[in-house]
Amino acid sequence: MTTLQKTTKKKKFKCFFGIKADRQVDGDRMNTAFQQRVRKAGGKAAAIDACMQCGTCSGGCPNADKMDLPPRSLVLMIQRGEWEAVIKSDTLWLCSSCHTCTSRCPRGVRPSEVIEAVKTIAIQEGIENNSTRFNQIFVEQIQKRGILFEPELMYAYGGIEAILQQAPMGIQLALKGKLSPLPHKVKDPKTFQTGIANLKASSTGQSQTQPEKNSGHF
Amino acid sequence: MKTTQNSPKYSYYPGCSLHTSAKEFDLSTKVVLDALGTEWEELQDWSCCGGSIAGGVNRNVGLALAARNVVLAQQQERDLLASCSGCYNKSAKAAKALAEPEQREELRPLLKEMGLDLPEKQVKVRNVVDVLANDLDISPAIKRPLTGLKVACYYGCLMNRPEDITGWDSAVNPMAMDKLAKICGAEVLDFRAKTKCCGGPILVPQEKVAFELTKAILDEAQELGADCVVLACPLCSTNLELRQPDIEKAYGVSYKLPILYITEIIGLAMGIAPRKLGLDKHLVSAQSVLSKI
Repeated sequence: MTTLQKTTKKKKFKCFFGIKADRQVDGDRMNTAFQQRVRKAGGKAAAIDACMQCGTCSGGCPNADKMDLPPRSLVLMIQRGEWEAVIKSDTLWLCSSCHTCTSRCPRGVRPSEVIEAVKTIAIQEGIENNSTRFNQIFVEQIQKRGILFEPELMYAYGGIEAILQQAPMGIQLALKGKLSPLPHKVKDPKTFQTGIANLKASSTGQSQTQPEKNSGHF
Repeated sequence: MKTTQNSPKYSYYPGCSLHTSAKEFDLSTKVVLDALGTEWEELQDWSCCGGSIAGGVNRNVGLALAARNVVLAQQQERDLLASCSGCYNKSAKAAKALAEPEQREELRPLLKEMGLDLPEKQVKVRNVVDVLANDLDISPAIKRPLTGLKVACYYGCLMNRPEDITGWDSAVNPMAMDKLAKICGAEVLDFRAKTKCCGGPILVPQEKVAFELTKAILDEAQELGADCVVLACPLCSTNLELRQPDIEKAYGVSYKLPILYITEIIGLAMGIAPRKLGLDKHLVSAQSVLSKI
């Protein structure tokens, strides 16, 4: 039996008034394994199990109408351990990190930080789309010199097509002295590059154990 | 104005944008701080804060990038002064983590990888708007009130949210820039979109969604009859100003709405020459604002 299955099975102690600690709101069985992985990826901040499904997060979300799983649903799916639906959700890439949900959540769940944590898991699990590609290129570009050089970022993401498309604006910016022809960099780019590379390598180890898919009510 | 010898020295952190697409924010911030007698020095060896993106790619990289600048400010023993809302938010969050024993120990090995030791000294992370509105008194410096100029102050997301990280102004109805613009003599509009998101971090991969969000902000400013939108974030400005022509084209609308930084407005009211503030550097011309004052 894997450690993940173990964690799913234990914890059946009773709370006050007969409410079970692992049954939060709607009586569903909570899958703690996936929650734990999200919490590990998001630090203490991701207090998913505190969610009472009030929907304040989805109510304030500027992009909720475009998401397949608005923040409230996403947190519920994480509680239930429906990890496939969660990492495939477009919510992760439609979230513009405005933190309205985190600012308003009455239970301190910090949904925007939960989403950030799930994004890293989705990338580890091999989810690929324009957003994952852009975000990864963004980090690679920072890794190079420590300071972002926008024309290079646009080229790395969109190729020559993006450069041509952005050319009119680029020329205007250059004429106004707002586009430096040469990139800026930190004093010691070598240390910076190695540092980021080591940090990347140190955190990929988390992806080895996959949580069990919960045979829920779906 | 507060006396110079008591005012703190700041490590000014421009971030990636202020030396490039937000040059006018950089220029005007420095000129205004100098005119108010605030001492600052650029943070030595600063790097990108990782923005809203790095932490969603790799947690450790996100933490290290955000904390690196704060640790440098601690080593240089000055409070960190960030102008970009993104840099401010990420740095403030990192400073909070560095001050908490448990998270500090989590960050220590990450910064070791970046070649940095954690100093004992903690520093504050401040936003330029916070310092201008709450520490300095700009009113005696106002020489040329902007009477008759209608401004819509736009705060966006990261300056005031989440409150436990920012905390110096309301997350629901922030007033710091409204207050500053009022002192400058401008007519401040009741702008309901002031804390709406412009979609900055998803602009490139989700252009359509970001355009829709930005359009809603521009629409309200136009409806209210604003002469300009006043803000303090280079990423918001990228959407509202640099992408304004694209949005006009995509939706068949016309705004021609100048987008100015709060420091430019303050500089103008202080009687500083527009060129020194970088007002000639806007892609959406600020001429209509200049001719009104």
